[in-house]
Amino acid sequence: MTTTTEPRHHEASPPAPLISVRDLSVTYDVARTGKRLIAIEGVDLDVHEGEFVTVLGPSGCGKTTFMNVVAGLVKPTTGTVLVDGSPVTGPGPDRAVVFQDYALLPWRTVFDNVKFGLEMQKALKGEGWRDRVQEAIEMVGLAGFESSYPRELSGGMQQRVGLARAFVAEPRILLMDEPLGAVDALTREVMRDEIDKLIQKTGKTVLFITHSIEEAILLGDRIVVFKSHPGAIKEVIETGLERPRSERSVQHDPRFLELRDHLWEALQGEATAAAVSK
Amino acid sequence: MSTFLASGPNLGRSGGVGAWLAGLSPAGKAGVLAVEVVVMLVVWQLVVGVFGWINPVFLPPPTAIWQGFVELVSSGVLWPNLLISLQAWLIGFVVAAVIAIPVGLLMGTSLPVDRVVGPIAWTIYATPSIAYQPLAKAWFGFGIGPVVFLVAISALFPILLNVAAGMRTTNPSIIRAGRVYGASRTQLYRSVYLPSTVPFLFAGLRQAVVLATIGMVVAELSGSAIGMGALIIKSVNTYQTDQAFAAIAIIVAWSVGMAQLVTLVERWVAPWTRTGRR
Repeated sequence: MTTTTEPRHHEASPPAPLISVRDLSVTYDVARTGKRLIAIEGVDLDVHEGEFVTVLGPSGCGKTTFMNVVAGLVKPTTGTVLVDGSPVTGPGPDRAVVFQDYALLPWRTVFDNVKFGLEMQKALKGEGWRDRVQEAIEMVGLAGFESSYPRELSGGMQQRVGLARAFVAEPRILLMDEPLGAVDALTREVMRDEIDKLIQKTGKTVLFITHSIEEAILLGDRIVVFKSHPGAIKEVIETGLERPRSERSVQHDPRFLELRDHLWEALQGEATAAAVSK
Repeated sequence: MSTFLASGPNLGRSGGVGAWLAGLSPAGKAGVLAVEVVVMLVVWQLVVGVFGWINPVFLPPPTAIWQGFVELVSSGVLWPNLLISLQAWLIGFVVAAVIAIPVGLLMGTSLPVDRVVGPIAWTIYATPSIAYQPLAKAWFGFGIGPVVFLVAISALFPILLNVAAGMRTTNPSIIRAGRVYGASRTQLYRSVYLPSTVPFLFAGLRQAVVLATIGMVVAELSGSAIGMGALIIKSVNTYQTDQAFAAIAIIVAWSVGMAQLVTLVERWVAPWTRTGRR
């Protein structure tokens, strides 16, 4: 049941999708057993400019592999990934990644971590970049922590640094790999709403990987549900909930409850299947 | 030693002596150490000097060791021996570092180099340095040469193996972050691999300080006419055990002092490894 939807921000004339994935498969050679492991198989997906797409699936369903292919970190075995019409051959300044484990450089202060992306892209020319870095730090609410080291910050604050680092590079596409997976439950809800606001404000196109059903519903314009063994898209669902959304505003919304029950069942089946196949 | 223990994880129950020690300020920790040393010296003095339970020729009391130290200084015996030892130590240590750091970096970077050099390095590292001592005499004669050799070969491998391990264990997530932002190979080395190896380098240097001192004394203990090791042998052979203990104390002070110096340099070069928020 794959439904393609019109892009939210460009309803007048449907333009070409910003990300276009066709028949994507990734297989790995497993050295120990000599077998080939199929990480994902036959994935088709279009993501339009300005869309927030959440990718939901059980652990080991290949959703991270899928994101890594779009990021240009993993080469497709078969199939194509087009970003803005050009095939992805590696990482590029049009895409930035927010990692589950933050992936901050422990030897750099918050300021120097945020500028890391710009520095690697050799974009530290002139004076403007300092203001951009400072702006990004303030945007994620870390003003005053510019010269702190990551180890001095809580998990939530470290991920704010990760967000600022991604935003300051001004990518068109933000790839978020379970960005709140390692953050405590309370901070997780607060940051989920903040990420939502930031994305609505900046209009970025987002692929957001998660295994939280609530996160997938509350953030996504569409939810891509992955199944495992082999990893593939099970279904794509349009959430169709009014924004701004919050846990409180939607928890009695029949659409939210319907989605939650539906996804819960879909994932439950997947989790059981995964457990049995092991 | 108590400083090492206090910085480790406190796995015991909360409360009690462990918690009290862990919560101490740096000044408090120094105070505890000072009390420990004073108590030990007083007990030592009582057992040997006052009660005479042990023949002071075998174990002179602290006051006699102090007198031995004064004699060593006033007779002019100490300086030439100390200077020649420190000279050999410093030359050997620098030679070790100059060889070990680049080779370690190469080993950590290149799997073929690691496979070829690694087993040899571990084999030489696993050989007790005392086994090389007679050979060193044969190869380098009776001057400072064999001492420099034993210091260098003792200090070389802890530095080399730690640097190689540091390169290899660079957090793959940070490497991915570098790649996402388009870091070149050179940028990855300069901005990711090298900084993440720095704490390993200093751990290796600290081990190397202790092993270099052992190598120095081993080389000087037999067949040397000059040096701290020779001074210990000569003092023992003439029943001046107080002077032998004074010489040992000076060697220990040098070793501990150099290890502290390495830590100080690390705090200056790599402030992010400092624990706590101080």
